[in-house]
Amino acid sequence: MPVETRLLALAALVGVAALAGLWWRATTGRARRIVAGQQVNLAELAAVKNGQPVTNFGSKITFLQFSGEFCAQCPPTARVLGELEAKTPGALHIEVDITNRLDLANRFNILQTPTTLVLDKNGLVKSRISGAPKTTTLESELGTFAI
Amino acid sequence: MSTKQIDPRGPRFGAAITTVLLATDVYLGLDASTADVAFILLVAITALFAIGAIFGNAKHPYGWLFKNLIRPRLGNPKELEDAAAPQFAQGVGLFVAGAGVLLHIIGVPNAVVIAAGVAFVAAFLNAVFNYCLGCQIFFGLKRLRVIR
Repeated sequence: MPVETRLLALAALVGVAALAGLWWRATTGRARRIVAGQQVNLAELAAVKNGQPVTNFGSKITFLQFSGEFCAQCPPTARVLGELEAKTPGALHIEVDITNRLDLANRFNILQTPTTLVLDKNGLVKSRISGAPKTTTLESELGTFAI
Repeated sequence: MSTKQIDPRGPRFGAAITTVLLATDVYLGLDASTADVAFILLVAITALFAIGAIFGNAKHPYGWLFKNLIRPRLGNPKELEDAAAPQFAQGVGLFVAGAGVLLHIIGVPNAVVIAAGVAFVAAFLNAVFNYCLGCQIFFGLKRLRVIR
């Protein structure tokens, strides 16, 4: 195969990979608004926070983070959402490891971790953030639901 | 889950080297005169993935290079990451590159180029965008009950 053709094929491969990366970068961590979202059931979730079962939603907003095994972005996401909870009255961050909870993965259609569901004060899913949330996304979610 | 923590820039540095090797492999594999060299290179890349998948990125030659040559020139990382995710990704690389080697041996045409191309995309995304495709598909595979 001529050198030009080979280099062209290689360039096409790099182009495809770069487009995929740019697409991922543009879409990851952004909130997708959910119309008529599911009601989250805390008993079914069986979430534990600081050693205690979680029995109440945040009085204004809840960030429900689904984490899993082999997830590089999960611990940093938990740290960011934990900090947000600490400085926002009425906000709650719950982290659930779904490694062995395929029932939850199926119920909420989790295809990647971290996936964060933004819940209103009644526990209704309002939006969905796939991947590590962008700072601007979190700010706008707070502006919409925690005012 | 392993609690071993590593500098996330280490696996990314390794992915950059892997990206270059796999691009070279695709280039060599596309011409009949260098197809044998491409096959041998893919065997070597497969062996390197195997080291990473079995012993972890820190014990990989690239991890050693990073620790001794690169990291001293960088500041401390902002945060560490769990060693399990990049190690799993090495396993995915091993699977793809190894499949290319085996398929080539049993006579499947273009197996080397296709496997190297697929692995290239994953390594490129890891090196350039810090996107861990191997980690990403883990959960999808699990939900489809392909694993465990």
